[in-house]
Amino acid sequence: MSDYHLNRVLYDRAREHKMAESIGPDELTGYDLTAEERAALAAGDLDALFRLGANPYLIRRVFRRRYAL
Amino acid sequence: MASLVAACMTSHAPNMTATPAAAPEQRARFLAGLAEMRRRLVAARPDLVIMFVNDHVQNFFYDNLPAYCVGVGDTHWAPKGAASFLKIPQRQVPGAGAWGKALLAAGLEAGFDLAVSHDLEFWDDVSVPAHFLMPEGTLPILPVLTNCVAPPLPTPRRSWALGQFIRRFVDAQPGHERVAMIATGGISHWIGVPNTGHISPEWDRWVLDTIADGRGEELAGLTWEQIERDGGNGGQEIRNWISVLAAVPGVKGEVLAYEPVKEWLTGCGAVWMQV
Repeated sequence: MSDYHLNRVLYDRAREHKMAESIGPDELTGYDLTAEERAALAAGDLDALFRLGANPYLIRRVFRRRYAL
Repeated sequence: MASLVAACMTSHAPNMTATPAAAPEQRARFLAGLAEMRRRLVAARPDLVIMFVNDHVQNFFYDNLPAYCVGVGDTHWAPKGAASFLKIPQRQVPGAGAWGKALLAAGLEAGFDLAVSHDLEFWDDVSVPAHFLMPEGTLPILPVLTNCVAPPLPTPRRSWALGQFIRRFVDAQPGHERVAMIATGGISHWIGVPNTGHISPEWDRWVLDTIADGRGEELAGLTWEQIERDGGNGGQEIRNWISVLAAVPGVKGEVLAYEPVKEWLTGCGAVWMQV
Protein backbone atom coordinates (compact mmCIF):
# COMPACT_ATOMS: atom_id res chain seq x y z
CA MET A 1 0.00 0.00 0.00
CA SER A 2 1.38 3.38 -0.95
CA ASP A 3 1.68 6.11 1.66
CA TYR A 4 0.71 8.67 -0.98
CA HIS A 5 -2.82 9.29 0.28
CA LEU A 6 -1.72 9.49 3.91
CA ASN A 7 0.73 12.21 2.93
CA ARG A 8 -1.94 13.84 0.77
CA VAL A 9 -4.13 14.29 3.87
CA LEU A 10 -1.29 16.02 5.71
CA TYR A 11 -0.14 18.07 2.73
CA ASP A 12 -3.64 19.40 2.07
CA ARG A 13 -3.85 20.60 5.67
CA ALA A 14 -0.34 22.00 5.66
CA ARG A 15 -1.08 24.02 2.53
CA GLU A 16 -4.04 25.58 4.33
CA HIS A 17 -1.91 26.17 7.44
CA LYS A 18 -4.36 24.12 9.46
CA MET A 19 -2.94 22.60 12.63
CA ALA A 20 -4.56 19.60 14.27
CA GLU A 21 -4.44 17.47 17.40
CA SER A 22 -5.98 14.61 15.45
CA ILE A 23 -7.84 14.14 12.16
CA GLY A 24 -11.13 12.30 12.46
CA PRO A 25 -13.14 10.29 9.90
CA ASP A 26 -15.43 13.20 8.98
CA GLU A 27 -12.38 15.05 7.62
CA LEU A 28 -11.14 12.13 5.54
CA THR A 29 -13.86 11.77 2.94
CA GLY A 30 -12.38 11.13 -0.47
CA TYR A 31 -8.97 9.96 0.73
CA ASP A 32 -7.98 6.38 -0.08
CA LEU A 33 -6.63 5.25 3.29
CA THR A 34 -6.14 1.97 5.12
CA ALA A 35 -7.89 1.31 8.43
CA GLU A 36 -4.51 1.57 10.16
CA GLU A 37 -3.84 5.00 8.62
CA ARG A 38 -7.31 6.24 9.59
CA ALA A 39 -6.79 4.99 13.15
CA ALA A 40 -3.40 6.71 13.45
CA LEU A 41 -4.87 9.98 12.17
CA ALA A 42 -7.89 9.75 14.47
CA ALA A 43 -5.66 9.06 17.47
CA GLY A 44 -3.09 11.66 16.48
CA ASP A 45 -0.49 8.91 16.98
CA LEU A 46 2.59 10.63 15.58
CA ASP A 47 4.94 7.65 15.94
CA ALA A 48 2.44 5.42 14.13
CA LEU A 49 2.05 7.99 11.36
CA PHE A 50 5.84 8.03 10.96
CA ARG A 51 5.96 4.21 10.83
CA LEU A 52 3.24 4.23 8.20
CA GLY A 53 5.30 6.48 5.95
CA ALA A 54 4.05 9.98 6.71
CA ASN A 55 6.67 12.58 5.84
CA PRO A 56 8.15 13.85 9.12
CA TYR A 57 8.10 17.49 7.97
CA LEU A 58 4.36 17.19 7.33
CA ILE A 59 3.83 15.48 10.70
CA ARG A 60 5.67 18.32 12.40
CA ARG A 61 3.77 21.01 10.51
CA VAL A 62 0.25 19.66 10.94
CA PHE A 63 0.65 18.44 14.52
CA ARG A 64 2.89 21.29 15.66
CA ARG A 65 0.84 21.96 18.77
CA ARG A 66 1.65 18.48 20.03
CA TYR A 67 5.31 19.40 20.47
CA ALA A 68 6.67 21.20 23.51
CA LEU A 69 8.88 23.44 21.32
CA MET B 1 33.09 37.97 -17.18
CA ALA B 2 30.85 37.37 -14.19
CA SER B 3 32.63 36.49 -10.97
CA LEU B 4 31.95 34.76 -7.67
CA VAL B 5 32.49 37.33 -4.92
CA ALA B 6 31.09 35.60 -1.83
CA ALA B 7 30.21 32.12 -0.59
CA CYS B 8 28.71 31.21 2.75
CA MET B 9 26.40 28.80 4.55
CA THR B 10 23.93 29.19 7.38
CA SER B 11 21.40 27.04 9.14
CA HIS B 12 17.73 27.97 8.95
CA ALA B 13 14.96 27.25 11.46
CA PRO B 14 11.46 28.70 11.74
CA ASN B 15 11.88 29.40 15.45
CA MET B 16 14.73 31.84 14.73
CA THR B 17 11.93 34.33 14.06
CA ALA B 18 8.78 32.50 15.22
CA THR B 19 9.85 32.38 18.90
CA PRO B 20 12.03 35.48 19.32
CA ALA B 21 12.07 35.32 23.12
CA ALA B 22 13.51 31.80 23.24
CA ALA B 23 17.13 31.05 24.17
CA PRO B 24 18.13 34.75 24.34
CA GLU B 25 21.87 34.23 24.88
CA GLN B 26 22.31 31.64 22.15
CA ARG B 27 20.07 33.67 19.87
CA ALA B 28 22.19 36.79 20.39
CA ARG B 29 25.41 34.91 19.66
CA PHE B 30 24.06 33.22 16.54
CA LEU B 31 22.50 36.41 15.19
CA ALA B 32 25.81 38.20 15.80
CA GLY B 33 27.34 35.64 13.43
CA LEU B 34 24.66 36.36 10.84
CA ALA B 35 25.23 40.11 11.30
CA GLU B 36 28.92 39.58 10.48
CA MET B 37 27.93 37.45 7.49
CA ARG B 38 25.66 40.28 6.34
CA ARG B 39 28.44 42.84 6.77
CA ARG B 40 30.75 40.76 4.57
CA LEU B 41 28.03 40.13 1.98
CA VAL B 42 27.33 43.84 1.68
CA ALA B 43 31.04 44.56 1.38
CA ALA B 44 31.28 42.03 -1.49
CA ARG B 45 28.74 44.14 -3.47
CA PRO B 46 26.96 41.23 -5.22
CA ASP B 47 24.54 41.88 -8.07
CA LEU B 48 22.69 38.64 -7.42
CA VAL B 49 22.77 35.73 -5.02
CA ILE B 50 22.40 32.06 -5.88
CA MET B 51 20.69 30.43 -2.90
CA PHE B 52 21.07 26.67 -2.42
CA VAL B 53 18.05 25.72 -0.37
CA ASN B 54 15.47 22.99 0.07
CA ASP B 55 11.73 22.85 -0.09
CA HIS B 56 9.91 21.67 3.04
CA VAL B 57 7.07 20.00 1.13
CA GLN B 58 5.40 23.38 0.50
CA ASN B 59 6.08 23.79 -3.24
CA PHE B 60 6.67 20.18 -4.18
CA PHE B 61 4.52 17.25 -3.13
CA TYR B 62 4.72 13.56 -3.99
CA ASP B 63 2.74 14.14 -7.18
CA ASN B 64 5.69 16.00 -8.70
CA LEU B 65 8.90 16.04 -6.72
CA PRO B 66 12.15 17.14 -8.36
CA ALA B 67 15.58 16.10 -7.12
CA TYR B 68 16.89 19.52 -8.17
CA CYS B 69 14.96 22.57 -9.35
CA VAL B 70 15.93 26.08 -10.44
CA GLY B 71 13.56 28.98 -9.77
CA VAL B 72 13.36 31.23 -12.81
CA GLY B 73 10.60 33.55 -11.62
CA ASP B 74 11.14 37.31 -11.69
CA THR B 75 9.94 37.34 -8.06
CA HIS B 76 9.61 34.81 -5.25
CA TRP B 77 7.41 34.85 -2.17
CA ALA B 78 9.59 34.84 0.96
CA PRO B 79 7.37 34.32 2.86
CA LYS B 80 3.74 34.15 1.78
CA GLY B 81 1.50 31.65 3.58
CA ALA B 82 4.05 31.08 6.33
CA ALA B 83 4.25 34.79 7.22
CA SER B 84 2.08 34.72 10.34
CA PHE B 85 3.81 31.60 11.62
CA LEU B 86 7.33 32.92 10.94
CA LYS B 87 6.44 36.42 12.20
CA ILE B 88 8.02 37.86 9.05
CA PRO B 89 5.78 40.12 6.93
CA GLN B 90 4.71 38.72 3.57
CA ARG B 91 7.02 39.94 0.87
CA GLN B 92 8.09 39.29 -2.67
CA VAL B 93 11.80 39.34 -3.32
CA PRO B 94 13.26 39.86 -6.78
CA GLY B 95 14.32 36.81 -8.77
CA ALA B 96 17.02 36.49 -11.38
CA GLY B 97 14.89 35.04 -14.16
CA ALA B 98 17.30 35.55 -17.05
CA TRP B 99 20.13 33.95 -15.10
CA GLY B 100 17.83 31.13 -14.04
CA LYS B 101 16.82 30.36 -17.60
CA ALA B 102 20.45 30.47 -18.70
CA LEU B 103 21.37 28.06 -15.89
CA LEU B 104 18.54 25.75 -16.90
CA ALA B 105 19.71 25.67 -20.52
CA ALA B 106 23.38 25.28 -19.58
CA GLY B 107 22.46 22.45 -17.22
CA LEU B 108 20.64 20.55 -19.94
CA GLU B 109 23.71 20.90 -22.17
CA ALA B 110 26.03 19.71 -19.39
CA GLY B 111 23.97 16.75 -18.22
CA PHE B 112 22.20 18.38 -15.25
CA ASP B 113 18.52 18.06 -16.11
CA LEU B 114 17.21 20.51 -13.53
CA ALA B 115 13.49 20.89 -13.00
CA VAL B 116 12.16 24.41 -13.37
CA SER B 117 9.65 26.54 -11.47
CA HIS B 118 8.35 30.00 -12.32
CA ASP B 119 6.45 30.38 -9.05
CA LEU B 120 7.99 29.52 -5.68
CA GLU B 121 6.78 30.18 -2.17
CA PHE B 122 9.48 29.99 0.46
CA TRP B 123 9.27 29.13 4.13
CA ASP B 124 12.12 29.37 6.61
CA ASP B 125 14.47 27.93 3.94
CA VAL B 126 14.88 31.34 2.24
CA SER B 127 12.66 33.69 4.25
CA VAL B 128 14.50 33.46 7.59
CA PRO B 129 18.10 33.80 6.30
CA ALA B 130 17.01 36.54 3.88
CA HIS B 131 15.31 38.37 6.77
CA PHE B 132 18.65 38.64 8.56
CA LEU B 133 21.12 38.77 5.65
CA MET B 134 19.20 40.77 3.03
CA PRO B 135 16.46 42.66 4.89
CA GLU B 136 16.18 45.29 2.15
CA GLY B 137 14.75 42.68 -0.20
CA THR B 138 16.39 44.27 -3.24
CA LEU B 139 19.09 41.74 -4.17
CA PRO B 140 17.90 39.34 -6.91
CA ILE B 141 17.78 35.73 -5.71
CA LEU B 142 18.32 32.73 -7.98
CA PRO B 143 17.12 29.71 -5.99
CA VAL B 144 18.50 26.24 -6.62
CA LEU B 145 16.46 23.70 -4.69
CA THR B 146 17.62 20.23 -3.68
CA ASN B 147 15.28 17.56 -2.39
CA CYS B 148 16.51 17.03 1.17
CA VAL B 149 13.20 16.07 2.76
CA ALA B 150 11.41 13.33 0.80
CA PRO B 151 13.62 10.26 0.26
CA PRO B 152 15.09 8.88 -1.84
CA LEU B 153 17.34 11.96 -2.01
CA PRO B 154 20.00 12.84 -4.55
CA THR B 155 23.45 11.75 -3.39
CA PRO B 156 25.78 14.24 -1.69
CA ARG B 157 28.26 13.41 -4.46
CA ARG B 158 25.73 14.66 -7.03
CA SER B 159 25.21 17.86 -5.04
CA TRP B 160 29.00 18.36 -5.12
CA ALA B 161 29.00 17.90 -8.90
CA LEU B 162 26.10 20.35 -9.23
CA GLY B 163 28.00 22.96 -7.21
CA GLN B 164 31.07 22.49 -9.41
CA PHE B 165 28.94 22.91 -12.50
CA ILE B 166 27.23 26.07 -11.23
CA ARG B 167 30.62 27.60 -10.41
CA ARG B 168 31.73 26.92 -14.00
CA PHE B 169 28.45 28.40 -15.22
CA VAL B 170 29.01 31.59 -13.21
CA ASP B 171 32.56 31.95 -14.46
CA ALA B 172 31.38 31.53 -18.07
CA GLN B 173 28.71 34.24 -18.02
CA PRO B 174 29.62 37.06 -20.40
CA GLY B 175 28.44 39.99 -18.27
CA HIS B 176 30.19 41.63 -15.35
CA GLU B 177 27.82 40.49 -12.60
CA ARG B 178 29.17 39.91 -9.12
CA VAL B 179 27.64 36.74 -7.75
CA ALA B 180 27.22 35.55 -4.16
CA MET B 181 26.33 32.00 -3.14
CA ILE B 182 24.49 31.22 0.06
CA ALA B 183 23.50 27.76 1.24
CA THR B 184 20.97 27.29 4.02
CA GLY B 185 19.94 24.32 6.16
CA GLY B 186 21.49 21.81 8.56
CA ILE B 187 23.41 21.17 10.62
CA SER B 188 22.08 18.30 12.78
CA HIS B 189 18.41 18.18 13.66
CA TRP B 190 15.67 15.62 14.03
CA ILE B 191 12.26 16.91 12.90
CA GLY B 192 8.88 15.15 12.95
CA VAL B 193 10.54 11.82 13.71
CA PRO B 194 10.15 9.96 17.03
CA ASN B 195 13.20 11.71 18.58
CA THR B 196 12.23 15.18 17.37
CA GLY B 197 14.32 17.88 19.02
CA HIS B 198 17.52 15.84 19.30
CA ILE B 199 20.70 17.68 18.25
CA SER B 200 24.20 16.20 17.83
CA PRO B 201 26.87 18.82 18.65
CA GLU B 202 29.48 16.13 17.98
CA TRP B 203 28.41 15.70 14.37
CA ASP B 204 27.98 19.46 13.96
CA ARG B 205 31.55 20.02 15.18
CA TRP B 206 32.86 17.36 12.83
CA VAL B 207 31.10 19.04 9.89
CA LEU B 208 32.39 22.49 10.87
CA ASP B 209 35.94 21.26 11.56
CA THR B 210 36.00 19.47 8.20
CA ILE B 211 34.97 22.66 6.42
CA ALA B 212 37.33 24.84 8.48
CA ASP B 213 40.17 22.54 7.48
CA GLY B 214 39.43 22.93 3.76
CA ARG B 215 38.30 19.31 3.44
CA GLY B 216 34.68 20.02 2.47
CA GLU B 217 34.79 17.44 -0.29
CA GLU B 218 34.79 14.74 2.41
CA LEU B 219 31.16 15.66 3.08
CA ALA B 220 30.34 14.66 -0.49
CA GLY B 221 31.33 11.10 0.44
CA LEU B 222 28.63 10.80 3.10
CA THR B 223 25.75 8.43 2.53
CA TRP B 224 22.08 9.01 3.31
CA GLU B 225 22.35 6.40 6.06
CA GLN B 226 25.36 8.05 7.70
CA ILE B 227 23.70 11.47 7.70
CA GLU B 228 20.39 10.08 8.96
CA ARG B 229 22.17 8.29 11.84
CA ASP B 230 24.59 11.06 12.86
CA GLY B 231 22.86 14.28 11.80
CA GLY B 232 19.19 13.32 11.72
CA ASN B 233 16.67 13.73 8.94
CA GLY B 234 17.25 17.50 9.10
CA GLY B 235 20.96 16.88 8.64
CA GLN B 236 20.19 15.79 5.07
CA GLU B 237 20.00 19.51 4.26
CA ILE B 238 23.82 19.50 4.33
CA ARG B 239 23.49 18.82 0.58
CA ASN B 240 22.87 22.55 0.14
CA TRP B 241 26.15 23.35 1.89
CA ILE B 242 27.98 20.72 -0.15
CA SER B 243 27.04 22.46 -3.41
CA VAL B 244 28.51 25.76 -2.19
CA LEU B 245 31.63 23.98 -0.89
CA ALA B 246 32.08 22.48 -4.35
CA ALA B 247 32.06 25.97 -5.84
CA VAL B 248 35.10 26.92 -3.70
CA PRO B 249 37.01 23.64 -3.38
CA GLY B 250 39.89 23.52 -0.92
CA VAL B 251 38.97 26.83 0.72
CA LYS B 252 39.15 26.82 4.51
CA GLY B 253 35.88 27.94 6.06
CA GLU B 254 35.63 30.46 8.86
CA VAL B 255 32.99 29.56 11.43
CA LEU B 256 31.19 32.79 12.34
CA ALA B 257 28.83 31.15 14.81
CA TYR B 258 27.81 27.78 16.15
CA GLU B 259 25.04 27.21 18.64
CA PRO B 260 23.13 23.99 19.29
CA VAL B 261 19.81 25.68 20.09
CA LYS B 262 17.36 23.30 21.74
CA GLU B 263 14.51 25.78 21.37
CA TRP B 264 15.19 25.99 17.61
CA LEU B 265 15.52 22.19 17.43
CA THR B 266 18.68 22.67 15.39
CA GLY B 267 22.45 22.65 15.60
CA CYS B 268 22.97 26.08 14.01
CA GLY B 269 26.12 27.02 12.13
CA ALA B 270 27.15 30.02 10.05
CA VAL B 271 30.29 29.72 7.92
CA TRP B 272 32.09 32.12 5.62
CA MET B 273 34.21 30.87 2.73
CA GLN B 274 36.93 33.25 1.56
CA VAL B 275 36.57 33.50 -2.22
